[in-house]
Amino acid sequence: MLWVDKYRPRTLDKVIVHDDIASNLKKLVSEQDCPHLLFYGPPGSGKKTLIMALLKQMFGPGAEKVKMENKAWKIDAGSRTIELELTTLSSTHHVELNPSDAGFQDRYIVQEIIKEMAKNRPIDTKGKKGFKVLVLNEVDKLSREAQHSLRRTMEKYSASCRLILCCNSSSKVTEAVRSRCLNIRVNAPTNDQIVKVLEFIGKKEGLQLPAGFAARIANHSNRSLRRAVLAFETCKVQQYPFTVDQGIPPLDWEQYVSEIASDIINEQSPKRLFLVRGKLYELLVNCIPPQIILKKLLSELLKKLDSELKHEICHWAAYYEHRMCLGQKAIFHIEAFVAKFMSIYKGFLIATFG
Amino acid sequence: MDESDDDNEEVEEKEVKTPTKSGGRGRGGRGSGAGPAASAGRGRGGGRGGFMNFGERKDPPHKGEKEVPEGAPECLAGLTFVISGTLDSLEREEAEDLIKRHGGRVTGSVSKKTNFLLADEDIGGKKSAKAKELGTKFLTEDELFDMIRKSKPAKAPVKEDLTKKHEEKANKSHMKSSPMKVKVEDDQPGTARKTPVKSAPSNVSLSKRKAQIGEGSSLTWTEKYRPKVPNDLIGNPSIVKQLHDWLAHWHEHFLHNGQKGKGKRQNDSGLKKAVLLSGTPGIGKSTSAKLISQMLGFEAIEVNASDSRGKADNKIFKGVSGSTSNSIKELISNEILSSSKKWSEHKKTVLIMDEVDGMSAGDRGGVADLISSIKVSKVPIICICNDRYSQKLKSLVSYCLPLNFRKPTKQQMAKRLMQIATAEGLQVNNITLEELADRVNGDMRMAINQLHYMSLSHSIINYDDIRARLLSSAKDEDISPFAAVDKLFGFNGGKLRMDERIDLSMSDPDLVPLIIQENYINYRPVSAGKDENGVKRLNLLAQTAESIADGDIVNVQIRRYRQWQLSQAGSLASCIIPAALMHGNREMLEQGGPNYNRFGGWLGKNSTMGKNLRLLEDAHVHILASQASNIDRVTLRIDYFTLLLKQLTEPLRVMPKDTAVQKVVEFMNAYSLSQEDFDTIMELSKFKTHPNPLEGIQPTLKAALTREYKEASKTRVVRAPDLINLPGIKKAPKKRIAAILEPVDAVDSGLPEENGNGLVESDEENSSEADEISGEAEPKLDLQSDKSKGIQVQLDLKTDGKSKAKKAPANKSRASGSSEKGGQSSGRGGKRKR
Repeated sequence: MLWVDKYRPRTLDKVIVHDDIASNLKKLVSEQDCPHLLFYGPPGSGKKTLIMALLKQMFGPGAEKVKMENKAWKIDAGSRTIELELTTLSSTHHVELNPSDAGFQDRYIVQEIIKEMAKNRPIDTKGKKGFKVLVLNEVDKLSREAQHSLRRTMEKYSASCRLILCCNSSSKVTEAVRSRCLNIRVNAPTNDQIVKVLEFIGKKEGLQLPAGFAARIANHSNRSLRRAVLAFETCKVQQYPFTVDQGIPPLDWEQYVSEIASDIINEQSPKRLFLVRGKLYELLVNCIPPQIILKKLLSELLKKLDSELKHEICHWAAYYEHRMCLGQKAIFHIEAFVAKFMSIYKGFLIATFG
Repeated sequence: MDESDDDNEEVEEKEVKTPTKSGGRGRGGRGSGAGPAASAGRGRGGGRGGFMNFGERKDPPHKGEKEVPEGAPECLAGLTFVISGTLDSLEREEAEDLIKRHGGRVTGSVSKKTNFLLADEDIGGKKSAKAKELGTKFLTEDELFDMIRKSKPAKAPVKEDLTKKHEEKANKSHMKSSPMKVKVEDDQPGTARKTPVKSAPSNVSLSKRKAQIGEGSSLTWTEKYRPKVPNDLIGNPSIVKQLHDWLAHWHEHFLHNGQKGKGKRQNDSGLKKAVLLSGTPGIGKSTSAKLISQMLGFEAIEVNASDSRGKADNKIFKGVSGSTSNSIKELISNEILSSSKKWSEHKKTVLIMDEVDGMSAGDRGGVADLISSIKVSKVPIICICNDRYSQKLKSLVSYCLPLNFRKPTKQQMAKRLMQIATAEGLQVNNITLEELADRVNGDMRMAINQLHYMSLSHSIINYDDIRARLLSSAKDEDISPFAAVDKLFGFNGGKLRMDERIDLSMSDPDLVPLIIQENYINYRPVSAGKDENGVKRLNLLAQTAESIADGDIVNVQIRRYRQWQLSQAGSLASCIIPAALMHGNREMLEQGGPNYNRFGGWLGKNSTMGKNLRLLEDAHVHILASQASNIDRVTLRIDYFTLLLKQLTEPLRVMPKDTAVQKVVEFMNAYSLSQEDFDTIMELSKFKTHPNPLEGIQPTLKAALTREYKEASKTRVVRAPDLINLPGIKKAPKKRIAAILEPVDAVDSGLPEENGNGLVESDEENSSEADEISGEAEPKLDLQSDKSKGIQVQLDLKTDGKSKAKKAPANKSRASGSSEKGGQSSGRGGKRKR
């Protein structure tokens, strides 16, 4: 098993990074009830880990015994019936799902599953917990309609079910939903915290860590604990014992994006634009989400850019990212950004150096 | 003429400076066959000879710098030109126009009939080689201009000169060193054009014409000049002959075969009871059919789309007439009756089914009914359609003798049009008619209608009239998306009118934007003009790309929110603006490959992406099922893949074979990864410029890995149901079902703590039963007993019917899972087969 999974804290007590949040959560559920929760924070900060630990705290080991199924729903929507399929993870106490996988029909999923859970309330012999927990991932990707319908059902069925929402950015969750939840912000861990975790893992695995090595990985990880642990293990697979100046292998796609960035910086011509398009297609085909490509591309370009241009380029990147969300064919928008950048940058170069 | 003048001005404004003309155009490269003309080279032009460039035609070096002369309209009549390579100042299309306007003919390749090869530089190539071989004269652009200019002051003699002794003429014009820029008095192009045509091939007196108009004006020309005898038909002689033969022998073949005792001739593959004539509209399919039946003494009964041709009732087929009967059935049954009564002189009939491809709309089951009619018919049936490959006619084609009408060539059409023009007393020359034939795209009916229409206002029709008229009212032909993009992006794309552009982009509102998006980078925009460092072009590119992205956003509004009123805005943003910005000459951005528009790559990439997403989701589900990790799909791809790849491949590279394989399989088991997932991870980590992730791994290792994985699958803790190999079933059950199947021994030895209390109990129960089953060689799929087991097959489904349907495969997999523990005989047998 990978370290990142092996050393994932299973209980709230063992949480290293966000121990304050963990202890608060523990207090929260030690009393019988619990409100709806909304976890938000950047990727790799430990939201999921906290949620799973919380569930275990609430329901005991039974919450860990999950099974995966492909559920199918038949939904009566007035004149027609809609058939939907979605993969869910569920235990006897909770159901976890990604409603945004259903695309624009996510609304039905949200309504239907909560109703269904309300219908068959768990009968606990001890009469202890009269509710089930529904974990919804990627709430920020839910359509507006789905969030609206979520608002209603959250109140109506609150007696029988609790929602735990999880997302990256709370700004994409409507105000109405946010106000119905206890918002828990999970910060990205600081570099020191990451170093602490890495050293902990190193100790458990019995590894010799050169001084400053963990710090370098932490630096490189962009404050994502998951990425740091994964990079740590990648280093281990690549070369052990560690050396002080050992390179940290980059993620394959990040490396590719930075190659694209240097392609763009080195030459601005139609020919190069064409080449870049081919590479962007490759990234997309390899299932890298376009938003992430654009973001990474921007940060790579900014590294090499004259400070005069940075503001303008950021503006355009934001502009095209927004349009990408409105549109459907992501490549068109990324390409438009690249073309725009080339045109600005070339103009700048000529104006500066003649 | 006005048009091209405008163009010249446009270009002149932009092209500020042209490269200095280097003397000596490299005439030496031209063979001696060119004769005296070659030696008299005047040394103009770019001096770029010797550079071979097949893929791409360059801009004329002195584009738009020269005055295009205006000559007598017929000064090039009877001459045939072939254009090769880049000309000095004219685009190829412009040159063609110029020649045609003056009565010359332009062909694509050099033949014996070719009089001149118009080429400014000898680029080698096939055309010039052929020309040398045939001794064809080479002609430069300037010489062509001279020829045309000469014709103006002395119209008739030049014309004669040219048609008869054009070679000498050409030589003469070579000898004279013509001034480069003669100011031809071009102020009144109108007057120049009006110069009377001296020798239009058919000169009919006006009086005669008037007389004719007087008598037959009530009929449209299409009716008036409809072919009366088969010889009048244009084109497709062999097909007409075939049709004739078929119809003539139909009765011997099909009606009397029983009596003559020849046996069933129908088995003969060449003999079909019906024919299917296909071809574009207006090329004489119906006319041929009618004409031939008439000639052979058949009475033609025509059934077309206006008649009801739906499926007839079975009873009617048996001869009872009723309200739902249709004409075909009646006709056939009538014929059967009449022949049985042996009316000696009954008229033979033929059924012409016109427009069979339009039969689907109101005629339910029409085609099927027609087929059954053909089977029993006692009369010949001629079916006519436009598109033989239409999906609707697929079944019909095999019952018919397919005869495909081709479009007549423009020469053939022009000949017939000339006959008509002569008969109507219209003054028009051959080239003009050919142009007309060309413009209507082979549609004879259309051509005649156009001619008729024009005859109402003119008595003399010349090339420019046709051009001006048909440019606007050209036939709505089926334009392919590629052709549309070619036109939009073409050098003259800027001259298209707005409605033309909309038409072009709407010719396929889905494909055209994709092709445009794919290719816009390849165009060197005209509007960039002189662009030393390429900034202008890049600016245009950025604008274009943004506009295309706009188009995508509009498209979302159209498709997702059904805002169809935006479709014009969509095509404006995704096609017209990009084309307006970028139109120009196409250039190649990478070495090799053809220089024409590629098909839109987005579709292919998108489907590959969809496939990869599916594969990724499979791997994701497996990882989730392993309970080792709880991550989402994006995280899996973005963060995990690099390490997963390392874990899966690195041991194979560095460790000794056995331990490496062992290690990788262990890892795969820990995450419930299947072989397919392994391949998925490899596939999704491939980047073109990066080394292949499997590089440096011996194929033998890969094979060993597969073997080991298969071996281990016997004892594997199967968590995802689609990973179970069922002995009898090759494919995994289509729908994934919730099932965590754990063989008991594995539970006992390896993973005791993983089992929740409830599950252990149920598994214990199972084990006794499962052992019983495993004793048998063939696992029994006893659903009853399986149902009693407490397997984790929880299907919280809304509908009961569905859950039952789903339980079946789950039970099967359970049974096979238990059999795996025991004998494994059947399972292994199944595997070995593969």
